[in-house]
Amino acid sequence: MPFNPLEQRGIPLDRQLRNWRELNVEPIDPDRCDPYTRCRIITMNGIEVEAVLFSHHLARHTHDPEIKRQLARTRYIEAQQQKAVNWLLPGVSSVLETTIAYEQVAVDLTAWVARMEPDPYLQQAYQFGVLEDFDHLYRYANLYEMIEHRKAESIVDNLTEVMPGRPTRYHHRDPYDNVRDPYDRTTVNPLSKLHALTIMAAEQQTMNFYINTGPTYMEPIARQLYQEIGLIEEEHVTHYESLVDPGETWWEQLVNHEYNECYLYYSFLEQESDPKVKAIWELHLNMELEHLHTACDLMRRHDGRDPQEILAPELPNVLTFEPNKQYLRELLATQMDLTTLGAGYVRDAHERFEKMQEKIHGGEAPPSDRVMAEHDDMFGREYRVVSEGEHPDPAMREI
Amino acid sequence: MSDTYTPHAGDDRAADTDVVALLIRQHGDIRNLFDEVEQTSGEERRDAFRRLVRLLAVHETAEEEVVHPWARRSVPGGEGVVKDRLAEEKEAKETLSALDEMDIDDQRFLPELRRLRTAVQQHARAEERYEFTHIRRHADADALAAMARAVKAAEAIAPTRPHPGVESAGANVALGPLAALMDRAKDAARKAMGKG
Repeated sequence: MPFNPLEQRGIPLDRQLRNWRELNVEPIDPDRCDPYTRCRIITMNGIEVEAVLFSHHLARHTHDPEIKRQLARTRYIEAQQQKAVNWLLPGVSSVLETTIAYEQVAVDLTAWVARMEPDPYLQQAYQFGVLEDFDHLYRYANLYEMIEHRKAESIVDNLTEVMPGRPTRYHHRDPYDNVRDPYDRTTVNPLSKLHALTIMAAEQQTMNFYINTGPTYMEPIARQLYQEIGLIEEEHVTHYESLVDPGETWWEQLVNHEYNECYLYYSFLEQESDPKVKAIWELHLNMELEHLHTACDLMRRHDGRDPQEILAPELPNVLTFEPNKQYLRELLATQMDLTTLGAGYVRDAHERFEKMQEKIHGGEAPPSDRVMAEHDDMFGREYRVVSEGEHPDPAMREI
Repeated sequence: MSDTYTPHAGDDRAADTDVVALLIRQHGDIRNLFDEVEQTSGEERRDAFRRLVRLLAVHETAEEEVVHPWARRSVPGGEGVVKDRLAEEKEAKETLSALDEMDIDDQRFLPELRRLRTAVQQHARAEERYEFTHIRRHADADALAAMARAVKAAEAIAPTRPHPGVESAGANVALGPLAALMDRAKDAARKAMGKG
């Protein structure tokens, strides 16, 4: 039977608070875990961080102190959920290892969403973005071998290929061209709303992670690469957040957030291979069901509308972490040379793009190019994981 | 898996003027060897394990002779930091000796190896975070370079890179037991630090 979160009840809110012992989760083993378990953890951390930050923004726009208190109660639980999820990551992992896992999320999550997205304009936005995350994975993988003498395949485990995407130096666009057109909330497929929210939250968390951990490195090339890619994540958040219809009311947005959390916990519960992690997805799903009902009540009360009007009649097909190698290869073969112009895409480097490039690079090679040069100095080659044959773009093949 | 080989620290083309960068890369080399031992079997595993034992032995010895004394002397609170690291190293060395006397076909071998791997990895990260960070903060470029040279000198006494075909029982006997190997690494490190 299809799962409909609107018809399920979860754990009552006043029984959701966890004590220190319950929050003290056992981290995954970085050398032996399913890489997609780690991807699910990173995704849900991003989703919970967005839930907390969104609720803070909503509270800042709320006059009624009783509603502020109600938001604070749910938000405190979501803050606990974020801790329980993110603390599944092991302390023995280095920042770079976690970074490579973040990029694996960006690649395989965005690619899957692009494959499933019903709206062609939104699909193009994901296809465009994923080729950039793909290139970031490649750059960080080369940095990782330089600093730690380890290969990214020990993290991504051959589920995701590692090779050049759209070269990072070309990701720096004039901010004017980073803003997309939003979907229309009245006509869009409800699944598209969930996709946009998920990818926006994931990219936002990636941005937060890079801009906070980047300066903890002492190696100049590492510091600089995090700074460069951190700025591209700013572009990606702009790109994805502008897809969401700003005409959605605050309460409608709150319902979408909570519904999306139910959707993702349910999806990951269906796929999880690690029993301890699976138990957390199950627990959190049962918490989210109540958060959703609370949000629905608020929407009914303040908007005078029924949430069913804006939600899917049943939960969409589960969001899945799986290899997307062939799909990515098709995009690599056809969309490498795209850039944005206004809210659309073009193949030619236009004036505004050229100007931005000139200014930001200042006549020098950016860190993302220099990391490759330094890697080559050290090993006389670059690092790639190419399991399905040569690079689809002949210009990107290794000489 | 890609078939590109990552050379060991010292064998890549890095300038090796910073002992911390060198040791962090070596921590990766050690993990790579753990992977190799876990993923192979028979003679290949025996060979990979021998290389792992050697690398671990000379690496830990070099750290004890070169890096820890410097941290103890020159880093505020270094005494305590080093004390914790030495306790971890002692434990790892004991597991290593026990494993070294075990046959790779022994049922206890893999579980013990994994236990060692976890302990070594935790120890390595603790060094990187609580000791190496302070060394980089307090040591000048000359000191970092001098320590790098000493670490490399200690490690030169026991080749740990794979030499397919060259690996023979004779070569192994010539290196002798673990304790003797550590002694020779110690002498080489001391000599390089001007205390020989």
